[in-house]
Amino acid sequence: MNRTLEHILPRVQKPARYTGGEYGAVVKDRRQVDIRYALCFPDTYEIGMSNLGLRILYGVMNAMDGVWCERVFAPWGDMEAELRREGVLLYGLESGDAIADFDLIGFSLGYEMAYSNVLNMLDLAGLPVRSADRPGPGPIVVAGGTCAFNPEPLAPFVDLFALGEGEDVSVEIIELCRRAKEEGWSKPEFLAAAARIPGVYVPALYQVDYAPDGTVAAITPREGAPRTVAKRIVQDFDSSYFPVQTIVPSTEIVHDRVMLELFRGCIRGCRFCQAGYAYRPVRARDPERLIRQGIEACRRSGYQEMTLSSLSTSDYRPLERLCDGLLDWCEPNRVSLSLPSLRADNFSMGLMERLQHVRKSGLTFAPEAGTQRLRDAINKNVTEEEILRSCRTAFSGGWSSVKLYFMLGLPTETDEDVLGIADLAEKVFQAWKETTPNPRRGVTITVSTACFVPKPHTAFQWEPQVSMEEYQRRVKLLRDHMRGRSIKYNWHDPETSFLEAVFSRGDRRLAGVLETAWRAGARLDAWTEYFDFGRWMDAFAACGLDPAFYAGRPRDPAELLPWSVTSAGVSTPFLLRERERAYQAVITPDCRKRCTGCGADKLYPGGKCDA
Amino acid sequence: MHRLAFSKSDTAKYISHLDLMRTLQRAFLRAGLAIRHTEGFNPHAFVSIPLPLSVGFSSACEVLECELLGNPDLGAVPARMNAVLPAGIAVSRCYEAVRPVKELCYVNYIVTLDYENGAPFGAETAIRDLLARDSLVVAKKSKKARSGQVEVDLIPLIRRASVEERRDSITLDLILRAQNPGLNPELVVGAVRRDCPEASPDFVCVHRRAVLDDQLQPWE
Repeated sequence: MNRTLEHILPRVQKPARYTGGEYGAVVKDRRQVDIRYALCFPDTYEIGMSNLGLRILYGVMNAMDGVWCERVFAPWGDMEAELRREGVLLYGLESGDAIADFDLIGFSLGYEMAYSNVLNMLDLAGLPVRSADRPGPGPIVVAGGTCAFNPEPLAPFVDLFALGEGEDVSVEIIELCRRAKEEGWSKPEFLAAAARIPGVYVPALYQVDYAPDGTVAAITPREGAPRTVAKRIVQDFDSSYFPVQTIVPSTEIVHDRVMLELFRGCIRGCRFCQAGYAYRPVRARDPERLIRQGIEACRRSGYQEMTLSSLSTSDYRPLERLCDGLLDWCEPNRVSLSLPSLRADNFSMGLMERLQHVRKSGLTFAPEAGTQRLRDAINKNVTEEEILRSCRTAFSGGWSSVKLYFMLGLPTETDEDVLGIADLAEKVFQAWKETTPNPRRGVTITVSTACFVPKPHTAFQWEPQVSMEEYQRRVKLLRDHMRGRSIKYNWHDPETSFLEAVFSRGDRRLAGVLETAWRAGARLDAWTEYFDFGRWMDAFAACGLDPAFYAGRPRDPAELLPWSVTSAGVSTPFLLRERERAYQAVITPDCRKRCTGCGADKLYPGGKCDA
Repeated sequence: MHRLAFSKSDTAKYISHLDLMRTLQRAFLRAGLAIRHTEGFNPHAFVSIPLPLSVGFSSACEVLECELLGNPDLGAVPARMNAVLPAGIAVSRCYEAVRPVKELCYVNYIVTLDYENGAPFGAETAIRDLLARDSLVVAKKSKKARSGQVEVDLIPLIRRASVEERRDSITLDLILRAQNPGLNPELVVGAVRRDCPEASPDFVCVHRRAVLDDQLQPWE
């Protein structure tokens, strides 16, 4: 290990985050590889190592001959200070080599509040943050992940964005990079060629003009760049790569367990949910294959916990068969199985009994809204009766803690809807009183609210976010109506939600705000220890931009949206139809009942949706 | 009861005690070695490390106690474990525990004091004199004491100490009491910083070389 690093590490918190050397980390011989890839996650090690996508891409890229993919995470503040003081450049965990010398630097973008970390990590790597200031030679900066569906706020910093699932496109980008290296292409030559790879968006090849009112007037592609860039998906998800052999961190991470991915996409069509639209079409993995992968992943990692991951696990058709098959192995081997993202409408007694075999943890439901009218408007197809029935099932089975998640500020929300949350919590409490086998143990009902953030590529992409003052008024209204000691109410502060709303639907001009805030010290903004709202407001003022223009302004459907070059495969007429139905509080049945014709099955010739 | 002798070096130095226990438990599972678990609602593996090592220290003589089930070939255990351990952890031996842990009386540490501009003149002598005092009382953090610290005299806990100057460093070869109470070599370095400020090192490297019984013979 590097001697300077040895001097630094005793002075920082949790030094094991910065050393690499974990079981399963891929170490290759520098002389045997021609492409070095830095897979960067713009948050801490504990968060990044919990990301399944990162592990998949790590495995896919390291399976390529001559390619060495290494991990890089955002250092915590103490480590950053030491790196800067000692002049150590950001390095790949596997080799300890500075990533400034790598061929490609790829960022996974899952959260707008991590954008400042992207800039900070480029700077820690010793690279200029703006693409235009990196003329090449030098690493190409790539970004992907859900946030790449609106790449604009990061457009001046990133050389190319890869939209959608990264398994195939990452390989194609690497192969192009290898060719460019062999043939000595310039960076502009490489980027022009990369723009021809399906799913790749090269922001420098698009000229954006603004109208006097601040909206986007025109987006003009140059040098043959496509007018629309549609996301990539893995067509044959069932047999696509799954990391049964993966890194086992030597220090605790957030999701420290085997993550088994059941399916991609979601049949539900909740109108606020970006993941629900962006990960279409539905593609499932065969249960027998999942059982084999789950067992193998436990054996090879030594993990004693497994979680079934997807956007809505109880919608996996053969879920009970899968659970039985896994539990046959898990129980005698002391491996516990957990099922997140269960829906309140089909939470069954049978499923609960299977889970009881392992461990009884808290239950979480996300009704999202307090009244049936509003749940219909957002297409959260779950009724109060279903929620209460699921709670009764759980309470009679001995559960004594339930968490209920809601959003405030959803389109069309009224005070009646807000108060409906308090009513629902009270009804859940009554349900507990009626069904619990042990009333003396008490119950904890935790109600949490967050401020709704309208997202690109959803039916609500044209909607304004409520102001922070209005959100707080609704919080107070709800707080004043929450009764009973068994009901606990938590609410998220609206400041981060406000910034999320700004950046999730922002345009290229926000890059200036991002850079200004970062130069003023913004980093690790997802962490309350570091987040400083005032710093962001100062940055908006310095750049002459009004954040409310982005967060709180209703968009006309005729407006050219900043992210309109990108396509998630879901058609705009479909989204507009869904928006109209929201206003009428009319539900759209789930995709299993009837195909909604969203268009995601048409991403490829012969494509299909396995709803 | 079985014991595993292992070393901890390089990147593995930064794995904390609790993380190390978790890491070794997972390694047993990867190696296909069953170990005894506690009974109860949330069973956990029955493993212990008699002398936890501070984060950042390297060691050639760590010991893990556990109970391997199913009579595995103990001679094959090191290879099976080493195939599935993180970098920097290497098992050298697996054997039936014979001697009680209470006979582990001393630990031999090699403490290297690094000086960026070379060891200061007189530092070696100053440290040697310091450790040759009749009494050397320092404050030590304590969770029990109300004030948060207690006073400890280091001298009775130092069985043997030799000080040797090299070009850019001074090496302390220390044999310290292991337990009841034990002495962490960081307290010795702290005393050097306090009483011989001119000999304060820029960087300290601690290596645990051997664990010993009361006759200063290797304990295993």
